[in-house]
Amino acid sequence: MHSARFGAAASAANRFGLGARPGELARIENNPHAWLLDQLHQPLDGAQWLAGLPTSIDYLRAEIDLNRKRRELRKHGTTDKSANPLAQLYREEFGEDLKRESLARWRIAAGTETPFAERLVRFWSNHFAVSVDKGPAHLYAAPLEREAIRPHVMGRFFDLLLAVETHPAMLRYLDQVQSVGPDSIFAMRVDRRLARVARREHQPARQLGINENLAREIMELHTLGVGAGYTQADVTEFARALSGWSLPFPKQIQREGLRSAFFYRAGAHEPGTRVVLGKSYPNTGFGQARAILADLAAHPATARHLSFELARQFVADQPPPELVDRLASVYLREDGDLAAVYAEMVRAPQSWGEAAMKFRTPQDYVVAGLRGGSIHIGDAPQLLEGLIARLGQPTFMPRSPAGFSDLAADWIAPDAIWKRVQTAEALAARVPRANLDPHRFARELLGPQLRPATLTAIARAEARQQAVAILFASPEFQWRV
Amino acid sequence: MSSRRDFLTLLGLGAGASTLSLWPSLSSAATGGDTRLLVVMLRGGLDGLHAVPPYGDPGYAALRGPLALSPAGPTSDDAAALKLDANFALHPALGFLARLYAQGYCLPIVAAAPPYWGRSHFEAQDCVENGTDTPNGAETGWLNRAAGALHQHGMSVTSVTPLIMRGTSKIDSWTPPLPMRVNPILLQRLEGLYAEDPRMAMAFADAVAQQHADASIDQQMKAGMRPVGPKAVEERFAVMMRAAGSFMARPGGPRLCFVEDYGWDTHANQAPILARKLAELDQAVQAFHDASAPVWRRTAAVVVTEFGRTARINGTNGTDHGTGGAMFLFGGAVNGGRVGGDWPGMRPSQLYENRDIHATTDQRRVFKALLGAHIGLPDAVLSTSVFPNSAGLEPLGGLVGSPAVRSVGSRV
Repeated sequence: MHSARFGAAASAANRFGLGARPGELARIENNPHAWLLDQLHQPLDGAQWLAGLPTSIDYLRAEIDLNRKRRELRKHGTTDKSANPLAQLYREEFGEDLKRESLARWRIAAGTETPFAERLVRFWSNHFAVSVDKGPAHLYAAPLEREAIRPHVMGRFFDLLLAVETHPAMLRYLDQVQSVGPDSIFAMRVDRRLARVARREHQPARQLGINENLAREIMELHTLGVGAGYTQADVTEFARALSGWSLPFPKQIQREGLRSAFFYRAGAHEPGTRVVLGKSYPNTGFGQARAILADLAAHPATARHLSFELARQFVADQPPPELVDRLASVYLREDGDLAAVYAEMVRAPQSWGEAAMKFRTPQDYVVAGLRGGSIHIGDAPQLLEGLIARLGQPTFMPRSPAGFSDLAADWIAPDAIWKRVQTAEALAARVPRANLDPHRFARELLGPQLRPATLTAIARAEARQQAVAILFASPEFQWRV
Repeated sequence: MSSRRDFLTLLGLGAGASTLSLWPSLSSAATGGDTRLLVVMLRGGLDGLHAVPPYGDPGYAALRGPLALSPAGPTSDDAAALKLDANFALHPALGFLARLYAQGYCLPIVAAAPPYWGRSHFEAQDCVENGTDTPNGAETGWLNRAAGALHQHGMSVTSVTPLIMRGTSKIDSWTPPLPMRVNPILLQRLEGLYAEDPRMAMAFADAVAQQHADASIDQQMKAGMRPVGPKAVEERFAVMMRAAGSFMARPGGPRLCFVEDYGWDTHANQAPILARKLAELDQAVQAFHDASAPVWRRTAAVVVTEFGRTARINGTNGTDHGTGGAMFLFGGAVNGGRVGGDWPGMRPSQLYENRDIHATTDQRRVFKALLGAHIGLPDAVLSTSVFPNSAGLEPLGGLVGSPAVRSVGSRV
């Protein structure tokens, strides 16, 4: 029977991938599992769209340049009172780069030949969420995904973790750059100076110190997960160990040949042995927090936390416990080898059961429309960015280090559904309609997941565009089965 | 103005705060039984010590260093704080709230916290929203359960449903609209499709129904609409609050409404960030005040956050997650013009774990008082279904409309 065709293929393309493109289900029909597994060992598609984008080091240099221009502007004042000259300067300096970053990301999402791998990139990008409404992190959210996540998405979790926690995006977003050990060489020197100033001005002296934000979120969100049994003392000790993890100084940034946007400031590191989760870590400088990170990555609570999140992302809002157990045991057995964990998820029968069903987030909803409708993105991503912002998921702006939710209950609300219908209509208006057979088109994107009532409504549509809008707005296009 | 309060005083019912908990439905009766409650959640952990500086506490200035604020004058380059009484002030950016306070319509409550005293944003927020004493105590929110008890739709000014509004009771939601109209024919076609999907059917039907009712709001919101971008982020809070006020001011409008804002997690460089965020809050309160004019006298609003912040500043001129924090009540029904809550003091021995303000008020006591004395829900419902197992938790007295405490002559 025709309707039984493409069943697993539709799940592979829609629930594991970014949404089927016309012809794709027929192509992968014979072995959808192999199609998914192959993507774990293939190079990530997308290099052609990312080529030529600035590196974090480029952005750090450009910031110094911008700051110099700002100082000049302040010194000389401005005659134009109507404009905001500093914001104008920022737009001039970075507007084009930010647009290119956005465009590249949309083009990859719409055009990638390895959509499961790309979903994984986005999964980690949201797991290690950075919110660009925090000004100093603004330029680095997209580079974090390009520089730290893409290279390690199929590797070991520890390597991914280390790349993320040493990236300027995370160091700035979670306030690590200014964290200074109170007994460090740097703090003592500065404290003496500040104390002198304070005495002169009869003010209480300001003291440099630790900021525990990054340490806490690494434990709570990035590794162990909340409720894993760590204490406030563990957070504080870890924060002390992390002191000194920072960015290069401006002078270093301007020097030729700078190779890393991370710099360990030994002078700001808190001296002493640290005790985290009952284990002592001698002061080895940078190596101290690195060793703690390695132990956090290898911790059984981390294995469970990551496995649960993966299963929840790809299988169900309440993932089957047996599936989570399987993923966690592979994680521990294979020393955090992520590709092995993903492969286990693809092979596990629980990933393909009756209860396997997810709701598309706004971003994935729009991406599925772009892919399914072969919509030409053009050179102006602003429209798409504005669209997903209004749907409730502005790119890289979850406003919290926990990232965006992937639970249906968080996205099914009257206002959100209404905007999805509006979105369906807007996207349908951009689908090339020449020779489009709506009936066949719908089957090509959803296979047997398409319901008879939807097919009937499509058949009765008064225009091709409306038929496509009905398909995009239909419940089964919003769910990934 | 209405003489209802004078009438109550004559009857001797306004004699003290305890009256309100004895006769939970009185206040709602006094205001025609059609009172309104707005809940505003500031996610990220507002620093209560920065918003409501306890300048009279001898320990405050030393612990806060450069972040300390005082009505006596600027300590750094900040303006002077706005004096409330001999001990407390408001941050200089909260000018409108200070005016409400002077008129008796604003009541800050200090040293409040949800029953969860850990320091995770997400667990603390869950606890504030689910209305139990633990982060995992319920999968639905207390505002949803209260709306169910009132047999009325709650209104969530959010594009997705937050935990506090999640549950079996129907909730309306709204955010600034996409600037386009939907083809009515498409809607007809979709109605049948959504009806078959048990999880989406209701949300879709509500969305369609709401579109018919929203024309007037759309008009009002045009003034506040901006293209998406950093500018829109800044003004969003006021836009949402103006919308909430407009919805609540409609005849038969929602009695329970929810608005949320983000960006209060100030680990570094706190002073300029909070100067901007508190100005946004102040502007948002004013937007709500203006839009809700027809029901302002019957309205109470509560501003809540998941926790306060450390008493000491950290090494990056910010503060880390703490416990006791501030709440704000405002509205025409609020018995304000004073600072509520019990101040635990800031000596090291008085701090919780030598680190945070020791919370002395469970936020649920405020919520229970507002839903009871103000909205009129009976205590039996409040202590079981809305805030499960909270019978021992006394609602905070005197928060709304007590004529004995408030001088009638001072009202505008």
